[in-house]
Amino acid sequence: MTARLALRFEVAGGRTRVRVLQQDPPWKIVRAFPCAGGGALVHLHNVSGGVLAGDCLSLDIDVAPRARVQLTTTGATRLYRHQPGAKESEQTITIQVGEDGLLEYLPDPLIPFAGARHTQRIQISLAPGATLFGWETLAPGRQAMGEQFAFDRLRIESCVRADGRLALSENILLDPSRRPLPVTARMGTHTHLATFCALCAGASESLWRDLEESLNQVAAGNTHSGAIWGTSTLASDGVIARGLGGSGRNFRAALFELWRTAKSRVTGEEAVPPRKVY
Amino acid sequence: MDSTSLLRLLQWADSAVPIGAAAHSFGLETLAAEDLLDPETLEAFLRDYLEEAGSMEAVFLQRAWRGDNPRILSEELGARKPAREPREGSLKLGRRFAELVNAVTGAAIIPADIHYCVAFGLAGAMLSVPKDTVTLAYLHQSVAGLLSACQRLLPLGQVAASKILWNLKPAIARAAVAEEVACFTPLLEVASMRHGTLETRLFIS
Repeated sequence: MTARLALRFEVAGGRTRVRVLQQDPPWKIVRAFPCAGGGALVHLHNVSGGVLAGDCLSLDIDVAPRARVQLTTTGATRLYRHQPGAKESEQTITIQVGEDGLLEYLPDPLIPFAGARHTQRIQISLAPGATLFGWETLAPGRQAMGEQFAFDRLRIESCVRADGRLALSENILLDPSRRPLPVTARMGTHTHLATFCALCAGASESLWRDLEESLNQVAAGNTHSGAIWGTSTLASDGVIARGLGGSGRNFRAALFELWRTAKSRVTGEEAVPPRKVY
Repeated sequence: MDSTSLLRLLQWADSAVPIGAAAHSFGLETLAAEDLLDPETLEAFLRDYLEEAGSMEAVFLQRAWRGDNPRILSEELGARKPAREPREGSLKLGRRFAELVNAVTGAAIIPADIHYCVAFGLAGAMLSVPKDTVTLAYLHQSVAGLLSACQRLLPLGQVAASKILWNLKPAIARAAVAEEVACFTPLLEVASMRHGTLETRLFIS
């Protein structure tokens, strides 16, 4: 199935409002909920329950200047088993944040089921003064079913530009049968991966070095026998924190703490978790 | 390729070339400190490392050799290195390598603000050495440098290190012909990010 969800967030009457430009099933959003500072919270919903073999899904998010948006999902993105004769599933996410806009992109984990073949592409472009807080977590499969790295192939391409500068670019190819993941050069003994990013196009380098220090303390506080975290400034305009662990449950508290700390330092505001069932 | 060019490349590909590479472990110091790396697993680790990070650097080197804009290549490679210490280390080695090449050739051939593998690709092209040879030389000196770091971090003797380097030649050759820029080394990245928090450090990265 080929489907597109295109949303534009605009400021009107002091509040951020969503305009649905295109909404093909299985994509579905219900409404935008008001959130702190005049922002809008939207839950992204895939009514088919996951990404099926052959699906080609795209999500286009356009955040107008000064609009403030929190985006989350209603549940994990489940990547179903590849079917013979079907194309590999794809999900392409394109995000633009206008001048002095704010986007908090806080999706639930990506779970590749046994036999899944999937490509995820994320392109994010920040205009001058635009801010992004975002995270992504990757599970090894359906752990309750005993799956661990039983998917066929998962490719994740991510690119973030801040005022035209390339801040982060990743091209990850996970092919567990050819490139085993439980090795020291890749994931070691860990099974789950999490990434948190905070960027503001044009903010000073000293802010990021200071924030790297602050997030390092959060990382140290969340590093224990079940998880390990590190933080770093990006090539430009932001910071990244990366965590590895043996369970997704280990990540939630760490991600919220990283986000709270980063938002407080970058915008001076409190991070309010999206209203949803956790 | 004439003999003189090959000899000049060999000089630049010597892991003892004076650009400061011996001061970097690129995250291995943290792995060793946290008992995630030992002499028994080192060869397998370096083989996987070559498959990921080695292949990625090989692709960027070859794009530089072919004449792609080195500053754009460097920006792209920098964005693919999320951990600051190895990213800055790669840039620092690139700058010192450029200064060395420009000094010994008496010409401003290589810009001073590009990553090491990009600078090495430019230098190889300037010598008219085939790109596959340049790539092999670069990856070989990279692995030799990491092994040298491991000799200071682990109970790894010279003969054992030589044997590992000998055994890794096929993995180096495979990484040198990679065509795709895909790299997945999250544990090494997290180790690099945590390097600054180690109580005692022998290396800059």
